Amino acid sequence: MMTMKMWPAALLATVVSAQWISYPTPGIPRTRDGKPNLAAPAPKMPDGRPDLSGLWEPASGGSLAPVAGATSTDPQFRDIALNVKGGLPFQPWAAELVKARRADENKDDPDGHCQPLGLVKMHLHPYPRKMIQVPGLLLILFERDTNYRQIFTDGRPLPEDPQPSYNGYSIGKWDGDTLVVQSIGFKDGLWLDVSGTPLTDAAKVTERFRRPSFGKLEIEVTIDDPKAYTKPWSITVNQTIALDTDMLEFVCKENEKDVPHLVGK
Amino acid sequence: MMKYIGILAAFAVVASSQWLNYPTAGIPRTKDGKPNLSAPAPKLADGKPDLSGVWMADGQTYFFDLAAGLKPEDVTMLPWAQDLQKKRIENEHGEDPLGRCLPHGVPRVNTNGLFPFKIIQTPGLVVILYEQLNLFRQIFMDGRKLASDLNPTWLGYSTGRWDGDTLVIETSGLNGKAWLDTQKSRPATDAMHVTERFRRKDFGTLEVVATIDDSKTYAKPWTTTTQKMFLQLNTEIMEFICNENEKDIPHMVVK
Repeated sequence: MMTMKMWPAALLATVVSAQWISYPTPGIPRTRDGKPNLAAPAPKMPDGRPDLSGLWEPASGGSLAPVAGATSTDPQFRDIALNVKGGLPFQPWAAELVKARRADENKDDPDGHCQPLGLVKMHLHPYPRKMIQVPGLLLILFERDTNYRQIFTDGRPLPEDPQPSYNGYSIGKWDGDTLVVQSIGFKDGLWLDVSGTPLTDAAKVTERFRRPSFGKLEIEVTIDDPKAYTKPWSITVNQTIALDTDMLEFVCKENEKDVPHLVGK
Repeated sequence: MMKYIGILAAFAVVASSQWLNYPTAGIPRTKDGKPNLSAPAPKLADGKPDLSGVWMADGQTYFFDLAAGLKPEDVTMLPWAQDLQKKRIENEHGEDPLGRCLPHGVPRVNTNGLFPFKIIQTPGLVVILYEQLNLFRQIFMDGRKLASDLNPTWLGYSTGRWDGDTLVIETSGLNGKAWLDTQKSRPATDAMHVTERFRRKDFGTLEVVATIDDSKTYAKPWTTTTQKMFLQLNTEIMEFICNENEKDIPHMVVK
């Protein structure tokens, strides 16, 4: 059941991407034989900070350029706790909620109902995302349902009482070569993965973005949500650059036929 | 008629009161310290105007009627399109895709004066983020050409170039499902090519003119009158999820 929900979307991307335009990505470093040198250093902005701009997808499970041995999606997309030693430090109610969601075949996963994924799950979604870094702002455009995120890097503080939203309100500051992004203001009841791991409106999410080479992006995500967890916990998302291609328009709601079949048990 | 528009408007008003107000950087001021909206448009290092900012259409004139201010003979619709338009109006606009949380299409996406949009201008790419439906458009400024067989989409594929101080955006690859406007319910097809001319007249004003070239629907290309967009200071676009807790669609009964 869990996997089935993803199918219609996955199928769509495969069909339409064959018709999409390919246009060479500018500024790719090359090896002597002319191939893209993905191990070259990350590009820099005029202010000396790393430039995170580019089209990115999960290293194990993107939709554009599957690598050998990759699964169809990053396994953390299904179960975010996969690499968390000892499992997640759930509050008792949160553990019960996950159990109940799994027992009900995850039929209420917002993704299956064309609702936004929220920022954590979005990092793991197989469809590409484009990061655009300009002075004062890091913009992330997502293929999945034309969503976008603004991360303000102009020195503003976090608001005290932000409007609750799926993506929250994000500000970023550089710590050496790492962009540290803090976000608050989440809607209550978000899902962090397909399994139904919860996030509440008390959450503070910290993302540490690092581009160790031209072709790699590492995002360490720390969830500090005392309502749902007894202590903060972290995961790492690895993404790779996608070259000479672009995002498609994806409209989840158009001709949507899945929802009536998401009935649970 | 105004079924969904009223509901969306109510949402925006309630929610925006809780949003963060953060001062917009780089506002020119008059002597008494007020924003000088008639100051010249800012320029980028390459001398081109910088269109970046949060903008909103001046009312809903063009959202309701894209041909506002034109004479009837300026917009000559082919007979099938006239019939379809009549049917849509008779059906009280109940089939408008936008009322079903589907994207506006181009150039309608610029026209709704209830929701702001944000332009972010970078070398090689202009991005427009729209608050309503959380949509974005990429305008490729890197010299690429529009391909001949594009994947049909609601917002099309767009390239841009400068004509003096005017950003000229060419869009094709549209899916032909979107309506051009709301009250007039004008149709278009996948043959449509849209040219939008964006000009930042002064610091606070953006003027947009759109040309509709769709020989399957209109006897000849036609061009809108000048649409005014105003800069929105000290605010931001919000997250807008049309499909969340959506209750309207069952009430949009077609006759």
